Order: sequence, then C-alpha cells, then structure tokens
Amino acid sequence: MSQRPIPRFELDAAPAPRLEPVAELVLADPPPPRGAVRPALWGAAILAFGFLGLSGVNFIVDQFARGPVLGWASLGVAALGVGVGGAGVWRELRALGTLRRVDALRADFASAEPDRVARGALEWAAIAPGGAALMPALRAMNDPDAMLALLRAGPSAMLRARAEAQGRAAALQVVAGIAAMPSPAFDVLLVGWRGLRLVRQVAALYGVRPGALGALSLVRRTVSSATLVGASQLAANAAAQAVLGHPLLAHVVGDMAGAGIAARRMVVLSRAAAAACDPVPPP
Amino acid sequence: MVVNDTLRIGVTGLARAGKTAFLTSAAANLLAWGAGRVALPALGPAGRVGVSIAPAGASALPRFDVARHRAALAADPPDWPARTNAASLMALDLVIPRESFGVSLPSHRLRVELLDYPGEWLLDLPLLQMSFQNWSMSTLARLYNLRGPAAAVAQDFLAFSAGLPAGAAADEALVAAGHGLYRAMLIRLRDEQHLALLQPGRFLMPAPGDAPPWIAFFPHSGAGKLSALLGERYDAYIAAAREDLAEPMFGNLDRIVVLADLLSALHAGAAAFRDTQAALGAVSAALRWRATWLDSVRALGHGRWPPRAITRVAYAATKADHVASRQRGNLAALMRDLVRDPAETLLGADVPAGHFAIAAVRCTEDVVWQLDGHPVSAVRGRRIGDAAPGRSYPGEVPDRVPDASFWQHPFLDLPVFEPLRLPDQGRGGVPSVALDELLAFILADVL
Repeated sequence: MSQRPIPRFELDAAPAPRLEPVAELVLADPPPPRGAVRPALWGAAILAFGFLGLSGVNFIVDQFARGPVLGWASLGVAALGVGVGGAGVWRELRALGTLRRVDALRADFASAEPDRVARGALEWAAIAPGGAALMPALRAMNDPDAMLALLRAGPSAMLRARAEAQGRAAALQVVAGIAAMPSPAFDVLLVGWRGLRLVRQVAALYGVRPGALGALSLVRRTVSSATLVGASQLAANAAAQAVLGHPLLAHVVGDMAGAGIAARRMVVLSRAAAAACDPVPPP
Repeated sequence: MVVNDTLRIGVTGLARAGKTAFLTSAAANLLAWGAGRVALPALGPAGRVGVSIAPAGASALPRFDVARHRAALAADPPDWPARTNAASLMALDLVIPRESFGVSLPSHRLRVELLDYPGEWLLDLPLLQMSFQNWSMSTLARLYNLRGPAAAVAQDFLAFSAGLPAGAAADEALVAAGHGLYRAMLIRLRDEQHLALLQPGRFLMPAPGDAPPWIAFFPHSGAGKLSALLGERYDAYIAAAREDLAEPMFGNLDRIVVLADLLSALHAGAAAFRDTQAALGAVSAALRWRATWLDSVRALGHGRWPPRAITRVAYAATKADHVASRQRGNLAALMRDLVRDPAETLLGADVPAGHFAIAAVRCTEDVVWQLDGHPVSAVRGRRIGDAAPGRSYPGEVPDRVPDASFWQHPFLDLPVFEPLRLPDQGRGGVPSVALDELLAFILADVL
C-alpha cells in the first residue's frame, strides 16, 4: 500500500474553455434499402409521358403541315390542356409544400432550441388565423415555452375547436345519411367520402388546400397522428354522444349500430386531421 | 390534464449531498428525454413518453424552480445551487403510451412528485420518536465521546452544561446563553469538522421568517424548571417538524432516493465518516419504510386511507464524477456496504433496493495521469473561477466501510468544479453520470 500515489490536484499550464460533454453515440435509424418498385414506376411514367409528349409534338407538326389553321388550333388545344394540367400540378405541389412546412415547423417547435422555436412561432402566427394579433406579444417574449403556450392557447385552441365542430357536423351528416341509404352496401362509400371531405375541410381551416396527391399525403399524416389523439378517444365518445343525443338521431342509431361507430369515427378523424395540420405540440 | 396516478418520490440526503442538483438534473433530463433528446439512454427510446412540468394549481407548497436552477448551471460562468433554506415540490406529468393489448387505450398519465428541502432538516425525523430526556442524554453522550479537534469545539458548551445545577430556574437569559453556545458548536462541527449527525436541523438552517420562541433550547439532563421549559420548547419544535416536514413530505411516499456525499466524508476522516454513517442510519430508521398492517388498521380507524407502502429504494453516492470511472464501482459497493443494515432490517428482502454511484451534474472527463511513475485513472475539470482546467486524483475509493489502515492515507478534498457545458442551455439535458440508471431503476415498473 505504500506504493500508492499521493492524491493531488494540478492545474494545466494553458487556459482552456469550459469542458464540453462527449456527444452521445446515437445510432441513426438506417433508411430502408431502396426498393426496385419506385425506379420502375418512374421509368414507366417517363416513358408514358415522354412518348405522349413527343406524339403530341409530332401531331401538332403534322397538323401544321396539313394547314396553318389546323396547326394553330391544335397548338391552342394543347397549350390549354397543358396550362390547366400545369395549374393543377402547381396547386398540388404548393399543397405538398405547405404540408412539408407544417412538418418543418413541428420540428422547429420540438427542437428545444430557443431561436428555432421563436422563429417558427412568429412564422406560424403570421399565417394562422388569429395569429397576427399575437405578434406583438410574441416579439416581446424571450421564453420559447411561453411562446408555445401562447400559440397553444390562442390560434391552436381556436382551430382545434373549429375542427371539432366540423367533426360533429360530419358525424351528424353521416348518421343522417346512413339512415337515408337504400342499402347497407352504400354505407362504406358514404363514410369514406365524408371522411375524406372532412380531412380536406379541416386542412383548409389550417390553410392547407390539398389536391388529390396532397389529400393522399394528408390522409397518411392523419393516420399517423391518429395514434397521438388515441388518448382523446374517451372524450370523442362523449362528443359523439352529445351529437347522438338528438331524439331523432338517437332513434336512428338505436336501429343501426354502425351509425354510432361512424359518428365516433368522424369526431376522431377531425381531431386526427387537426393534429396532422397543427404544428404546435400538445402540452 | 387528467392525471391517472401520482408517484411520490422522496429525495433524501444530508446537507450538501446534492439534492437540489439531483432534482434539477432529473427534471431537465426527463424533459429533454420527453422531447426526443438522448438524455437518459437507460430509460428507453427518447420521445416515447411525453414529459412536462405539472401545473402548480393551488398548492400551498412552493414549486421547485427548474428553469432558474437549470439556467444557473448553463450560465457562463455557471453557478451551483445555494444551500436550500426552504421546502419546495417538483412535479412532472408523464404521458406514457400503453403497449401490447392496451395499445388502443388512452395513454397513462402519471404525475411524478419529488421534494426538495434543506438536508439539515432531515435529521429532525429521528427526533419525532424521541422524548426531550432521551434526546438530551444521547446528544450529551455523543458530545462527551468526541475526540480530537471535535472535542475542543464542543468544550465550551459542555462546560456550560456541566456547570448548570440540576434544579436550575427557568431563566430566559440562561436559555439564550445555552442555546447560543449549542448552536455555535453545531455550526462549527459541521463546517470545521464535517460532522453530519447534528440535531436539531433548524438550528443549522432556520426556516424562513422570524424565529419563534420555541426554537431556543438545548440538550439538558436536569429535572428542574429550566429542564421543564426546555422540554416544552422541544415538544413545540417536534410538533412543528411533524406538521411542516414529516407529514406533508414523508407521509405518503412510494419511492425513496437516499443521496450521500461519501467522497467528502472520506476526505473528512474516520470520525466524520462514522458520523455520516450514523446519520444515514438514524434517518433510515426514522423514515417509515414500510407500513405495517397495524398502521393500516390505525389509519382506517381514524377514517383515513391506509398509508402507502414504499416499494423501491435507491441509495446513491453523489459526486461520482470526481473519481475516475474505474473507481465508481467501488463507490457503489461502498454505499451498499454502508446501508446494508437498514436495507436488510427495515426494508425487508422483498423490496428492491439499488445502489449507485452517480453525478447528477457531470463536471469532469476521465484521463490517465502518470503519477510517481504509476499510471493512475484521474479526472480533469475546471474549478469554478479558474481559467485553466486541472487534473485531480483524490485517492483510492474503498469498496467497503474502511478499516483503520485506510485512514493512514489522505483522501483529497473534492475541488469545486464547474459543470460541463450544458447542451442547448440545458434544454438538451444536463450531462450526468449514471443518473439514467438510477431513474430507470426507480421508474422501472411505471414506464
């Protein structure tokens, strides 16, 4: 034991900044291997649209060869078609971009970096209905948690209440529609159509106006966020119960068990869609 | 938020054991972990459980200010929490998703409550079961048994005590003189001799506000009017301790975390180490580890719910980052050896107990240092106020309660290092050592 070194403390010769923690080794979630389906689809699309475009150009050139009137008429029809289609594509891209922006804002708010949270809060307040009134208060704040709490209590709460109202209205319509359907086989179609319409309505509340592709993406996000709102299932039951408390509808629901379930689905769907479009994290 | 359940965790520890730092780090890391940061790897995937600070409601107990303490640690230069002088409560809400068959059910909402209070007050708990006469006799016996420099510190009070006639009158000036001497002695025994078993706790850390008259007493073994007055004041002190500390804070605990700064005790010497051991034993014995069936019957008889049972206990040696990782196993083993008796006799074999060597706020990195021709595992950190970092080798940590030969070698006083830089000003968590393992043990059956 006599060989034990004597305890001591010694200062380093050179000054140094405050020590930093060693970054935790985080194993990144590896992306799934790239499948063969997506490139094949792209290839098929390029072939189809490429040859279609080339055929169109050849056709217009042929039409000009037949006569200038026919040529210009063909070109006009083609330009009109491409213009309308392009406008549709532009709207789709813009809707997808809005959805991406919601994802980016959600990432900003979850980042816990004060600057990112503050920037995102101001950005969302600028576009969210009722958010403009909060801008002075948000600019005066320097606590990101307080900024999020203000957004949560202001525009976010108002939009969620509106989405909830949309969900209740859809629940009523679905129950009434099921009662009027001549065959139970049509119930699925009705619920599917109303559900999709509800998702788009809720998205429109948040400033997202999706086309077909945007709607698909939105439905995918809604399905993901449905797990987050699973906690409010009991409350959804209560909300649906309030809708179904109408004497006439209560009678209808009593006769058709599926109507009650469909009504509850509408309420849950409105909440899931709101959660998918709302970048502000729940408390 | 509707809370399904509440889990009360008592964080106990003697003064300067690091309770406030522990609570700050636990809260900051749980919040970061809930936000998806890899702050507590042992607790599982980050972001799975939602964590938020619970609203204060209309509670009478002040809330532990997590943001202020975290900001102080993150500041440049950083600040360590000052001595805690009042009790406060930290409450976090955890939203835990259900798994397997319950996956479609609503998430479980759990409120976790942790308490912060002056460590000195903890030593008031053993007093709750002692009469004034018993306390006076045991305290005076301990003081007479002090040896070396500690005996010199106690000399003035013991001389005063020995000079008091057995039937002394209840003179206020006499009481004030005795109280002053006794309190000054306690403070010197704590600050100069690093002793821990010093009672009553409020003599060392008074409660905020004006001191009530009953606070002025001291141990006395006479039988006259003076003794009666001191006894009355002692009883009033015990009633206040029971009302302010024991019942609201330790009355309904589900889990307990016992913190102890063993490294400082190793430096302070054999007497201080034995004193720390005795203090831990006294506190452990005073805590209601398990409710007996008699307690349950008594509570039902008074129209109350039966007291909760403590189902998990974690013992942690703090400031483990002041020794190299190679020695932290020994530190945890030393803690295990130190609390073996209370764990076995009071807790029972069926209540899980874990032993850890933790640093709630990490300040150092490990280095290998060539000392006297031998490579030793040491740590490197920057002391508060220094421009340059330094290397520290405090000595070897024993893996069991040290025998006489250990005290032949000095153990270095722990330097006051500054914390490592906090990621994202603490929002990314607080760097720590084995804190995640302790929390995983304490919360294992609820997460």
